[in-house]
Amino acid sequence: MIALSLNEAETLCAKAARGAGYCWGQADDIGRAARALAAEGSDFGAALLVLLQTRESFIAPTPERLARWRAGGPDIAGVGALCPVLAATWLTDAGLDAVGLRLINIGAPVWLDALLRPAGLGAACDDPFAAGDATLIRRPGPFETGKRAAVEAEIWRALNAYAAQTYVPESESSRRRGAGGGRVDDD
Amino acid sequence: MSAIAPRPPEIVMRLARLGAAHPTRLSFLRALIRGATRERWRLRRARFALDDAGFGHAVYTVETPGHAYSLVAFSTPLADERRTDRVIAEAWDASFVLYDGAPDADEIARLQANAPLQEAGRFTARELVLARANKSVRLFEAVVAALAKGEQPDGAALAEVGYLLRTTAVYGNGKFGIADRDEFAGRPELAGPFRAEMLTVWLIRAFSFDLVDHVAARRSPGAARLAPELRRSLGVGNATGLGMAPFLVRHPVLIHRWFAARETALARVRGLAEADEAEAFARSLAVFRAGVEAWRTQDARQAAAIVALKADLAGLAEAAPQILRGPLPWDALYRFAEARLSLEGQEACVALMLEPHGALIDDLADEMQADETLGQGLDGRVTCAAMRQILAHRYGWAAETDFADPAANARFWYVSADKLEPRLGERFEEAGAELEQPLAVARDALGLAAALAEAPEAQPLADFLLRHPQWRHVARRAQTLDRCAYAEIRDNLIGAEMRPIDILRAKLAFFGARRFDPRSDRWLRIALFADEPPIETICSGEAA
Repeated sequence: MIALSLNEAETLCAKAARGAGYCWGQADDIGRAARALAAEGSDFGAALLVLLQTRESFIAPTPERLARWRAGGPDIAGVGALCPVLAATWLTDAGLDAVGLRLINIGAPVWLDALLRPAGLGAACDDPFAAGDATLIRRPGPFETGKRAAVEAEIWRALNAYAAQTYVPESESSRRRGAGGGRVDDD
Repeated sequence: MSAIAPRPPEIVMRLARLGAAHPTRLSFLRALIRGATRERWRLRRARFALDDAGFGHAVYTVETPGHAYSLVAFSTPLADERRTDRVIAEAWDASFVLYDGAPDADEIARLQANAPLQEAGRFTARELVLARANKSVRLFEAVVAALAKGEQPDGAALAEVGYLLRTTAVYGNGKFGIADRDEFAGRPELAGPFRAEMLTVWLIRAFSFDLVDHVAARRSPGAARLAPELRRSLGVGNATGLGMAPFLVRHPVLIHRWFAARETALARVRGLAEADEAEAFARSLAVFRAGVEAWRTQDARQAAAIVALKADLAGLAEAAPQILRGPLPWDALYRFAEARLSLEGQEACVALMLEPHGALIDDLADEMQADETLGQGLDGRVTCAAMRQILAHRYGWAAETDFADPAANARFWYVSADKLEPRLGERFEEAGAELEQPLAVARDALGLAAALAEAPEAQPLADFLLRHPQWRHVARRAQTLDRCAYAEIRDNLIGAEMRPIDILRAKLAFFGARRFDPRSDRWLRIALFADEPPIETICSGEAA
């Protein structure tokens, strides 16, 4: 295991999420949620890897499902597993106090749980990493902080590979100009 | 006291004015020195194991009322050809950690195996700050040689460079495994922004003086020690590049607090009915003018700004006595500066007006940190129409720029794969623009406004963002800004004419840096703690 500061865990996860194709604002939320998972001693790295490896199969909630969520349920099944990032960010953005709402077939529900924390909510499910149903529950903060994060070396490398997709390779021109040019250190 | 409104963000938050910023008594290193003085911190040189050439390690322990902190310094031989200030360097003359407590021999051994490696090392929550520094090649040997001869070094040469060591990176907040800032931000002695980093640099300064004294003494039994007035004049150099610029854009709530504190302080002083501190102002102005005389740069633009500043300060010295006898004297002085002086002169005048008014404004230094979770919320219940209004209200200034003009959209910020550092690319000449970092605030605010215009007016923002998540960070930022007037630099950060050093200078002035010396439009040299008291005199326990 590699010991990380919580800030390192958050930064790595936000970058990896962006590298895997999430938008900047979503990546910021995923980073903060990963920090919360890490602070609780959860395996944030394994959780993120599951999300990033399966995200392309996830679906967005339809307007019909949103209307049902607004009404407090019941949810209806979609044509695939629901994206936990889109579901959680919509629920928090919309300010719904949807305790008791049962979402059907949501992917990597650990992320629904973690991303709902800022709203004082969470999600209960059978397997946090595997697609399945999840029920919204109340999870009042504040949450435990002050711990270090830990990640397995193999997962750390995999997340860094995703993060690397946000970097621009150096070219001759960028080497010359990008960092500043000017005079070298001669003092 | 009359109520004078703080300067509005459309005046304060422009790049040209940021690029003319001067340190004030609210700057972080000044706040640190005041706290150390007030709380009677004690400095102890706990270990000083350097060989004749000055290589080895040293430990300086500062005892504050709450906790002890130690600078653990490692001085190592470095071939001249490996000495570079660029972040791409892999070895340095000296490396440092600020350690939480007093390290035992095992901890020193652990740090010795990691600190000289910097980014390639691994650290723990006991390390609060990680830093490294290089010697001033020009000055270091000359100072040692003079001291070894029993003489003091040439003051003019010292003033020309301004430091013996210059840091090339000072890392905090969890980097490379060191402690998260959250872990110690609640401690009163480290509560201000960058307080732990400033303490580290203050201690590095003490080490730099001890280092030249030590090497000179080992070279010759009759060696002199560096004179107190020369110690006071020397700072710690720093080479600051692009890496620091995105910080200001990424921390809008924090930045708002910094500027709000300074502008509130200025408004308080301008509101005073009498100029009781007119004489103290005159003294500060005289000291400041002497400092400007010693300000060296080879940058043509900065050199011209310094020439104008000298004239401004002469005009200020002449006009101030008369103005300060009138009604609302400080307000009148500020308005004189605004009407007559260059931006450098105006911002210098602000710093000088704050200087004699510690009793009135120093409390504001305690309000410069921020709970940045405030910037994390997003209210998706507002309608698309309401969100457009927020954007129009807060980003009206952005509409001054036409981003269809290639010159306005000329650059992009990115992170380089080689060094994982922020860089600025030319959008229409270089590859990689699709990996642009989200720092083009003005362009993106306009983009979100345009996208919202296509959405049903009554649609909740939450529904809009579900379909268009690419605008999520922009919407969140705009809502944050709605509560924080100074959160945003009100200029185009990707324009062809944008000078990153303007951003860097504003941040460095809040640190307390002086003697800004641009080396290009993208990096500059500064000195921290120059002309400030050495830590060994403020915290005079058993200090060497």
